[in-house]
This record gives sequence, structure tokens and C-alpha cells, in this order.
Amino acid sequence: MDLIAGLLQTSILAGGVLALAALGEVLAERVGVVNLGVEGLMALGAITGIATVVAVPSPTLGFLLALLVGLLFGMIFATATVHVRANQILCGLALTLIGTGLAATIGKAYSGMPAPATFAPIAIPILSDIPLVGRALFTQNILVYLIYIVLPFALHHLMFRTRHGLDLRAVGENPAAADAAGIPVQKIRFWYVSAGAALAAGSGAYLTLAFVPSWSEGVVAGRGWIAVSLVIFAGYRPLNAVLAALLFGLITSLGFVGQARNWPIAAPFLSMLPYLGTIALIIVPVLAWHKVRRLMAAPAALGEPYYRDVR
Amino acid sequence: MAIRIQRIPSAPPAAALAARAVAIVLALLVAGLVLAASGADPLRLASQVLGATFGSSFGLEDVGLLVTPLILTGLSVAVALKIGAWNIGAEGQFYAGAFAATAVALFVPGPTVLMLPLMFLAGALGGLVWILVPTLARAYADVSELITTLLLNFVATLMVYYVSTGPWLDPSGHALATTARLPHDIPEFWGIVHWGFPLAILLTVLVAAVLNFTRWGYEVRIAGSNPQAARYAGMPFRRRLIVVMLLSGAIAGVAGMLEVAGTVHRLQGGISNNFGYLGIMVAVLARGSALGVLAGAALMAVILNSGIILQTQGITVSTVLAITGLILFFTAIGDELAHYRVTRTKPVGA
Repeated sequence: MDLIAGLLQTSILAGGVLALAALGEVLAERVGVVNLGVEGLMALGAITGIATVVAVPSPTLGFLLALLVGLLFGMIFATATVHVRANQILCGLALTLIGTGLAATIGKAYSGMPAPATFAPIAIPILSDIPLVGRALFTQNILVYLIYIVLPFALHHLMFRTRHGLDLRAVGENPAAADAAGIPVQKIRFWYVSAGAALAAGSGAYLTLAFVPSWSEGVVAGRGWIAVSLVIFAGYRPLNAVLAALLFGLITSLGFVGQARNWPIAAPFLSMLPYLGTIALIIVPVLAWHKVRRLMAAPAALGEPYYRDVR
Repeated sequence: MAIRIQRIPSAPPAAALAARAVAIVLALLVAGLVLAASGADPLRLASQVLGATFGSSFGLEDVGLLVTPLILTGLSVAVALKIGAWNIGAEGQFYAGAFAATAVALFVPGPTVLMLPLMFLAGALGGLVWILVPTLARAYADVSELITTLLLNFVATLMVYYVSTGPWLDPSGHALATTARLPHDIPEFWGIVHWGFPLAILLTVLVAAVLNFTRWGYEVRIAGSNPQAARYAGMPFRRRLIVVMLLSGAIAGVAGMLEVAGTVHRLQGGISNNFGYLGIMVAVLARGSALGVLAGAALMAVILNSGIILQTQGITVSTVLAITGLILFFTAIGDELAHYRVTRTKPVGA
């Protein structure tokens, strides 16, 4: 029983990294822009978080500054992909290289240093005493509640229950029609892509301030790419994305539990689980359910720049 | 007279080339400014790099050693791009090729003259196997090969790390985290540069010839630029896609084999030096031409070598990666801007 409770608690904690990054990518892809820079943005956020708490012991400040750094890099990326209309795949890969490289260069001074201040778990009275699941669900840091409850429901409401949400989805599905209807296509794309990048960097700070919590080169370890994959798996929906992230968190924590309990599998093989699991999870559903495919399809204009005056 | 800015569907080669040159200069300029802001002296660093690279044959030999894997990973990515597939997994296929070649070298006895070709085949096969699942998933389920190939990079890195620190660890106990020295070396061709270098060039020319001068290559190019048209014309798109992607993986695998058998001589964790990721850069710079792959690889080798020279100055492989990213970013922007043309038009009715 202790195993299950521990597994659940680690899954939620580990899944939070992916959930936040995935929510950011949902924002970008819903308005029609693929941001493959998530991995790099997470690295930048991770180092921003650590560098901040080393200077000022406030994890909240570290998280906020990471959001800001993500927003700035997101605005650069959005300028290139939305306004200049440069190739989104190339710009995304470039952002990943820049972010990963820059963070590792800055991070040399912080390598291996445990974060001096972190987001500590808060036990919610009474609820956290529920047997089995109480501790896992209600003794978590504040960001976990933000990532799993506040943000996904807020985004779901915004996207599917408001007029503005209809507009932003229209921009991702058919920008020409949206433009004709008077929706500011480029403006919406620019700000949602930038905001998505901010969330990606925020998830990096979550990684180094709540989950690991320290900086080392390669700390992001492909989580950005897993986040991009699970957006596809989640059918570009915020609530699904968070559930998918939890599932991926479970896969990750299986590896941790295995190492802690000395399962007869070598550690590197357990570390492979998240990547292999991701590959399986984006291939299998497509093969299994053909009907779901249309429902979960990508926004029709995903990856395509919008030119108003060019035919 | 009115000035009109017009976008043309395909960028004129001259404009594209100019945009690229500007992009590279701008990227290096930004990198220099960032370095200057962090207290380094970019001009002194640049002169140090140029002196160490071009000042002696040793420097050029170092570049020659680096350019070999870059040509092949670049070719790997470029070949896949010909049919519109993004092989971001050259890094993983490189590791898989090095892994397979090492397995053959360590566990199959035989004379070097026979073993090297066998290792070559093993390397190609290793890379091919590594891209097999992403290829089939793309061909039959339309799953983005970009993500699946990339995720397998992490798996390959872990696999090589595991064998080189575990079951295949050097039994002599002198070396840490690496396999024993391989019993077969690719002979040297010029200084420390091994015969893998001319072989990589030969392979590039060969692949380019097949793509440019055969019916098969023609169909691949059509399928890459317009899949719909290829299908209507009765070309077997799926079969072409599968073969091209497998070829792409095999080429990256060969790069790994040449690196382990020619340069490093042992299989170890960081053997790839990000060659797979830099290969994406090479392919993008090449703009689909074989000669371009060679030129792009040469440029990236000089940049990578600069990072190695400057390691004592606090610049790392990561810094080089970031600078590469900057070049890629500005190149992407330059490529788009090269499509625009400023024209003067007479007002209607004048």
C-alpha cells in the first residue's frame, strides 16, 4: 500500500513538469504554431529558477522570472514564426539548441548545487489524512494545484466556453476565414505562442525548484519533447493533456521506484521507460481507434504560416 | 511609381545564398556580442580560433576528423528531407551504428581487412534498425517521424552508456566508462585523418548521383516536393518513403561506425559530440544539394572545432550548440526573407 501511495505521489510530482509544458504547447498549437523549442525553453526556465533562488531565496520569484524569460524568448520565436513567417520546425529546433546550450553554459557555475530554496509540499489539513491517497493528493507543493486544477480548467473554459476561445481555435483551424471574420490572426498567434513559451519555461523552473531540485546539465532530459508528444496524444485539449501528463508521470516514477527497490533491471533501462512509453503511446492509439483520430486531429492550419495577401 | 513588396513562391538561388551569408554573419555577431557582454574578448577569441585552425596542418587535421561524421549525419538528414521526412534522430542512429560496429569488433574474431567491411555493414544495419519503428509508424500510421526519431536518441544514448559502463567495460581496468580499445582501426589517410573522410565524400557523391540521375531519385524528389502529385502519377509514395528513411538511418549509422573505428577507437558515452543534431544544421545549410552538404559540414566542423579550441576559455560544447542554434534561427529567417522581392510598378492607367 505504501508502494502505491508513494508511486502516486511521485507520479503527480513528475507529471507536473510535463503537464505545465504541455499546456503551453497546447496554447501554441491551438492557434496553429508548432513550437519545438519547448526543450530549450525548459532548460532556460530551469537555470533561471536556480540562479534566482541562489541569489534571493524565493522560489516564487524564481518561478515568475522563469515565466518572464520564457515570455521574452517566446516573443522572439513568435516574431520569427508568426510575423516573419519563417519555418516553424527550424525556428523551434533552433530555440531548443539555443536554450539548451545557453542554459548549460550559464549553468556550469550552478552544477550539482542543491536549490537553496524550493517549493515545499503543503499538507492540506484533514484531506491529507485520508488513507492511501490523502498524502499523495493533498501533500503537494502549491504549483501542483495550480498545474493540475486551476490552469487546465481555466484554459478549458477559455478555449471551449468563451467567444474568445472560439476565435483562437478558428485562428488555428482556418486563419483566412478567421481573418475575414475580423479576428486579429497574427496578434492572437503572437500572444498565445509567447504565453505558451512562458509556461514551458515555467515548467523548467518547476523541475529545478520543486521536482529534482537542483541543476545539472541535461536535467531537462527530453521532457520538452515528451511534452510535445503528449499534446498530440491528448488531442490538443488542456484537460486531456494534464491527464496524459499524469500517465507519463506514472511511467517516470515506475523507473524511480524500480531503482529505489532494486528491481533486477539496470538503471539505464528504467530511464528509457519514459521515451519508449511516449513512442508507444503516440503510435498505438492511431493504430487502435480510427474513429478517435478525427476527433483528436490537429488544428487544420497547424504549422502553416498565414499570408493574407499571397496566393 | 509605387514600390511593391511581393512574395515569390520559390526563392531565387542568389537571394537565398546572400540571405544565408547574412544570417551566418549576424548569428556570429550576436554570439560575439553575448560573449563580450559576459566579459570575454570575442575578437581575441576569433583570432585564436583562426590561428589554431588554419595556422597549422594540425588544426586542419582536427577539422578533417570532425568533418567526416558531420558530412554523413548531414547527408542522413538531407536524404530524408528530400522526401519530406524530418530525421531528427541521426544522433540516436549514430550511437546505434557505433554500438553495432563495436559489438562486431569486440566479439567476432577475424582479420582487419575483413572485419572493417563487416563493421561497416553492422554500423549501417544498426542505424537502419534504429529508424525502423519511426519509419513504419510514419508510413503506415502517419505518426510524426520528427518526434519518434528524436525520442529514440535518448534511448540510444542510455543504451551506449549502459554497455560501456557495464557489460562491455574495459576489462583491463585502465579506462573508465568505456569499452576496451577496438582491435581494428581504419587506416590513416592524411595525418590523423582516416580513410573515413574520403569515404564520406564518396558516399555523398554517390547518393547525390542516385537522387539526381536515376528514375528512382526523380520519384523521390517529386514525392518530397509534392506527395499528391506523386500519388496521382502512380508513384509508390509509401515504398519510396520507407526506403529513403531507412537509407537515412543507415547513413547516420555508418557515421557512428567510422567515428568509433577511425577516431575514438572505443565506444563510450559522449562519443557523438552532438554530431546528429549538428547534422540537421548541415542539411539545412545544404538546401538539398550534395555539394552543399560538404560545404555545410566543413562550416560546422570549423565551428565545432572552435569550441574545442576555446575549451580552456570557458567555452564548452554547449556554447557551440547555442551558437549553432543562432545560425539555424537566422538561417530560417533569411530563407523566408529571400522569397520577397521589391518591385517598382507604374500606377494603373499611367
